[in-house]
Amino acid sequence: MKQFVVIGLGRFGKSIAQALSKKNFEVLAIDENEDRIKEMEGIVSQAVVMDATDDKALKELGVADFDTAIVSMGETVEDSIMITLSLKEMGLRQVIVKAKSALHSKILKRVGADRVIFPEREMAERLAESLASPKIFDFIELSEIHGIIEIVVPKKFVNKTLGDLKLREKYRVSAIAIKRKVPITKPDGSTDFKDEVVIGPGGDSEVISGDILILLGKNTDLDKIEKL
Amino acid sequence: MSDFEHLIELSDFYILSQKYEEALKSLKKAEKINRMEPKLYYNMGLAYEGLNDKDNARNAYRLALELDADLLSAREHLDKLIEE
Repeated sequence: MKQFVVIGLGRFGKSIAQALSKKNFEVLAIDENEDRIKEMEGIVSQAVVMDATDDKALKELGVADFDTAIVSMGETVEDSIMITLSLKEMGLRQVIVKAKSALHSKILKRVGADRVIFPEREMAERLAESLASPKIFDFIELSEIHGIIEIVVPKKFVNKTLGDLKLREKYRVSAIAIKRKVPITKPDGSTDFKDEVVIGPGGDSEVISGDILILLGKNTDLDKIEKL
Repeated sequence: MSDFEHLIELSDFYILSQKYEEALKSLKKAEKINRMEPKLYYNMGLAYEGLNDKDNARNAYRLALELDADLLSAREHLDKLIEE
């Protein structure tokens, strides 16, 4: 089972530690702040109060044996750079670091960060995409040219199969999944929905009203689908 | 059974059958008869939610809650939509 160490339990660090724990991964959470650590007890596998810039202490904790470290230090740019360097020197396979600026990001890459993230910027870009196009629920940029969108099925696609729609031929996009809300009756008699996802739908998969199509293609071609 | 009750029951059936557009047709007819029934708007919320029309779903659940602030299921659905 993959093991993660999360250093820094501010808003982002706490959220990622919780999300990974929910997926039943082993998570070691580290922060200098005792209150933040207390909040995580019982949620993550292990929560330790310590100064993560102390690389001897990190080694003693066995951090070198973890698969992935996520470094999310709020204000202290220098600390996140030092910790990244220590973790890479210890031999961690993957070190992901939250950056505050382009310069911070550049330095992190130089000292060995495997991935640098800007959570607010990335979320803002995705939100802007979905606000600009209400039919698009989510957008993931794969490159400057290609992306993936989640889009409510256009009316002209409803009650047709993917084979009928000929998405690749006519629109130059691929349907990689279909998401659908399926109504269920709860024990108290009320109605709720469970999400059903068909991955890699075949040509005989029928699309119904309310379905969300997850489409992969060039951004220009995905824009055309959105305008249908 | 009154026409209103029949239309609401029909909308229940359509929602469970994933025929959300038909459910909305029944509910809009029902709305012309009685606009004060929280279940009407709750079912509208379900139908819009099934169609992934989140804006209309939120509005419908809010209307249901204005008519019955204790309608827990409407509150749960609305909260889930707000967080999504």
